[in-house]
Amino acid sequence: MTYLRLIWAIARKDMMIELRTYERLAAMSAFAVLVGILFNYAIDTSLVRPREIASGLIWMTIIFGGMLGMGRTFQLEEKDGTIEGILQSPIPLDAIYLGKVIANFVLLTVITGIIFIVFGGFFNLQFADNIIALVGIVSFGILAFVAINTLFSAMASRSTMGESLLPVLVFPLVVPIVIYGSTATSRLFAGRPFDEVTGNIRMLAAIAILFLVAGAWLFSFVIEE
Amino acid sequence: MNFSIEAHGLIRTFGGIPVVDDISFQLVPGEFLSVFGPNGSGKTVLLRMLAGTLKPTAGSVSVAGNVTDKDKCKWRHKVGFVSHQSLLYGQLSVEENLYFYGRLFGLRDLHERIPERIAQAGLTDRTSTPVRNLSRGLKQRVALIRALLHDPEVVLLDEPYAGLDAHASAVLRDQLASLKSDRRTVVLVTHNLGQGLEIADRIAIQFRGQFTEIDNIEKLETESFERFYRNTVEAVE
Repeated sequence: MTYLRLIWAIARKDMMIELRTYERLAAMSAFAVLVGILFNYAIDTSLVRPREIASGLIWMTIIFGGMLGMGRTFQLEEKDGTIEGILQSPIPLDAIYLGKVIANFVLLTVITGIIFIVFGGFFNLQFADNIIALVGIVSFGILAFVAINTLFSAMASRSTMGESLLPVLVFPLVVPIVIYGSTATSRLFAGRPFDEVTGNIRMLAAIAILFLVAGAWLFSFVIEE
Repeated sequence: MNFSIEAHGLIRTFGGIPVVDDISFQLVPGEFLSVFGPNGSGKTVLLRMLAGTLKPTAGSVSVAGNVTDKDKCKWRHKVGFVSHQSLLYGQLSVEENLYFYGRLFGLRDLHERIPERIAQAGLTDRTSTPVRNLSRGLKQRVALIRALLHDPEVVLLDEPYAGLDAHASAVLRDQLASLKSDRRTVVLVTHNLGQGLEIADRIAIQFRGQFTEIDNIEKLETESFERFYRNTVEAVE
């Protein structure tokens, strides 16, 4: 119970600061809307059916938009030196990581909602019928992405290369998320039955759990000097 | 004998260069140690190792009998750390920062404890002020409340006088004196020879990662200590 309270203390603090500043939320949602507009004009709809490529574009926007905000996960701590204060407290290091993951997950869920609304509007996507399956795919997909991104963001914050290092570290590892997420999403957009995506949902759940466990374990090596 | 804090053969290297080089000392409950030294002498690194935010390359630290790298959480309740940075979130208010750190220490009576400590520090009217809007002196007062919120036995202070004006320094001096009267064990790292000497039971000079402890400080006056300090540092240079 105490452990969960500690995780919540970290997550709550991050969300509180985000709601005060809207720093990451504003940048990420502006990015999502602008990318949606650009894709809308970049695609020749007389040659390509937008619905068929929409899921790939959506997942790439989630990944790039996510990178924009997640890279700054530990920026506050580094800037104000508060990481020293947190490390001096009796909180287990994996609880810091899991708290950060929760805060990032909530943030990216909001951004993903905006991305679906923008792309749904531009590309005339129908996903209301499969909303539960879609929520499952997106939730596990972004949880896996956030889990790995939070870990590497801690690593990048302690490196002189900083945020520029993050895509190099993260992109190779998000390939399976994009493959399973994008395939399942496009099947749902095409109106295929739920049974056809259960395998993908299971794989995304497994990747999310794997990344979370690995992230919680490796975080102490990254954060301790 | 029960020691509040024990450092044994502490070494910390960065890129193979020793920044803290074989430092050992013990402090009994209620002792006040001031550590002086020029920039780059490894004082902050020493303090960070004592606070458990930096791992020693070799050697060990024990707080109230607990070896710090073995019992990772228990001993942290016994240490309070004031850095030269406030370690506070600028976007959060004074109260929110204290609640956050109080929760990390698992304190249950925060609703009583925090207003009480804020009032003691004379900051009641600043309770809801975001920390970024506070002056350096007020931030330092909040930093001290944060470090003492969990009533630690050992208090580590890294350059707490840095950037403070005369009034804020006087307020801080009173707060440090009250730590001493509360019988807390204190390690103070400072450049300010006068203020560090005034309050200390023991003093040490750290230079090039090594520690020289000065005996019989009762009769030592600031002026003669300044001369001695300059000679010691210059002699090593």
